[in-house]
Amino acid sequence: MFITFALITLLGALAMLLQKNVIVAGLCMVATFFGVAGLFVLLGNPVAAALQVIVYTGAIMVLVLFVIMMLNSHEEEKAEASRPVQRWVSLALVAALALGSVKLVLASSGVKALNLNGAALPRATTLQNVGAALFADHLLGFEVVGLLLLAAMIGAVALTKRNL
Amino acid sequence: MDKFASLLHLTPAILWMVIKVVIVFAGVMSLAAIFTWVERRGSAMIQDRIGPNRAALFGKIRIIGLAQILADGIKMFFKEDLIPTDANRKLFWLAPFLAFVPALMGFAIIPFGKSFVSGGVSYHLSVLDPGNGMGMLYPLAIGGMAVYGVLVAAWSSNNKWSILGGMRASAAMVSYEIGMSLAVVSIFMTTGGYDPSEIIGTQGHLPWNWNIVHQPLGFIVFFTCLFAETNRLPFDFAEGESEIVAGFNTEFGSMKYSLMALAEYSHMMTASALIATLYFGGWQVPFVKDPTVMLSVACFLVKLVFFAWVFVWIRWTVPRFRYDQLMHLGWKVMLPMSMGNLVFHAWRMSQGH
Repeated sequence: MFITFALITLLGALAMLLQKNVIVAGLCMVATFFGVAGLFVLLGNPVAAALQVIVYTGAIMVLVLFVIMMLNSHEEEKAEASRPVQRWVSLALVAALALGSVKLVLASSGVKALNLNGAALPRATTLQNVGAALFADHLLGFEVVGLLLLAAMIGAVALTKRNL
Repeated sequence: MDKFASLLHLTPAILWMVIKVVIVFAGVMSLAAIFTWVERRGSAMIQDRIGPNRAALFGKIRIIGLAQILADGIKMFFKEDLIPTDANRKLFWLAPFLAFVPALMGFAIIPFGKSFVSGGVSYHLSVLDPGNGMGMLYPLAIGGMAVYGVLVAAWSSNNKWSILGGMRASAAMVSYEIGMSLAVVSIFMTTGGYDPSEIIGTQGHLPWNWNIVHQPLGFIVFFTCLFAETNRLPFDFAEGESEIVAGFNTEFGSMKYSLMALAEYSHMMTASALIATLYFGGWQVPFVKDPTVMLSVACFLVKLVFFAWVFVWIRWTVPRFRYDQLMHLGWKVMLPMSMGNLVFHAWRMSQGH
């Protein structure tokens, strides 16, 4: 199961990068999001999977595709003259990022707990747990994010509608 | 059950799963097919016509034209399968499936009957067993996927009318999703859980304890938003004969068109099942405290068919909206109503009711 979802995620991401057609690339990204949602289910967190599908595939990607269709540009813009330096720098940066994240995961307390306790079947996260965690442990962060999103929303409306 | 399972070299759990999947998907698909006929007969009834009543099995058995479904299916299969030259062929093939699969998948979470215990094992009458952690978030997630069918169909046929129809429909679907989700959230709140079996359990068997009585405002919002979500009249902006031909499925013919149409009706079935589950007690039989399994399934089916009929009824009674009216209704009426409903119930709960 893990292999299936991981393959969907990786192949979707790869296809998205290699695809010339913007809409098809967007649909490949949808496949990637589905793969990630599947991985969330395997990790015993169906709530995150459902929210992933609702928010990312159901709303954000739809709006992205919507905008692409609205502008109706069938072809990608031509790339500028390629600079080989860019490719090497990006490769080095990606390698550093991958190494860092792997190191971070291996050093995390969760992995240590897994070593001590063995892989006991995790209890599935429920919506109640998520709500309690948000409003009890992370209340300040939650409110700040809410305020930030509100400000972004008002800013977007103010920018697009000149005469309110 | 155990004997049958060992005959097939399966465990009872897997056999039960297979049976459930077959029952649910075959049931929803055949109900959807029957409703293509019910829609035509219903429209005829409302408009004082007769409707399709001539198709007959072997030229003899008429059964009030019910054989029309078979005739339509055969006709669709034998039609030439055309793809426009400028269409994106792969996406054009994919689009009907993208429309059809989410329409069927949404039904998987809905308990269509009472759970029963046989041989010490309890069997649940829903494809996804209760306590899976997804609960009613699942139909919301899958419902959001329905937009892709319309969008991909519209874009891949590379046709102005299709794209116009697809854009209008997807904008409407995305805007109405918010109001709908908030209405569902207030049900989560009063239930104290988000699993459909919990929602049905707390509603009980007495009709005045059902959510329709407690949250009439939420019901109105949810019900209205479902029309936009399923792309049914009075909100069917994916199509529009007088403006954009057939909208997103202008270029689709033969079985591809048929799949698109079936997707719409499957959506209708899932939507009716959601209404029944969330607001009308699901499989609970009114005034019967402990119904038998068959009775509960029958009661659920009656509710489902009734709401599906309401969809047909409204389609042929209420005139279409204009597009700006639709957006106005969605953002300025439905969303505030839904928020008001949520805040009101939160306040009532905080007062200890």
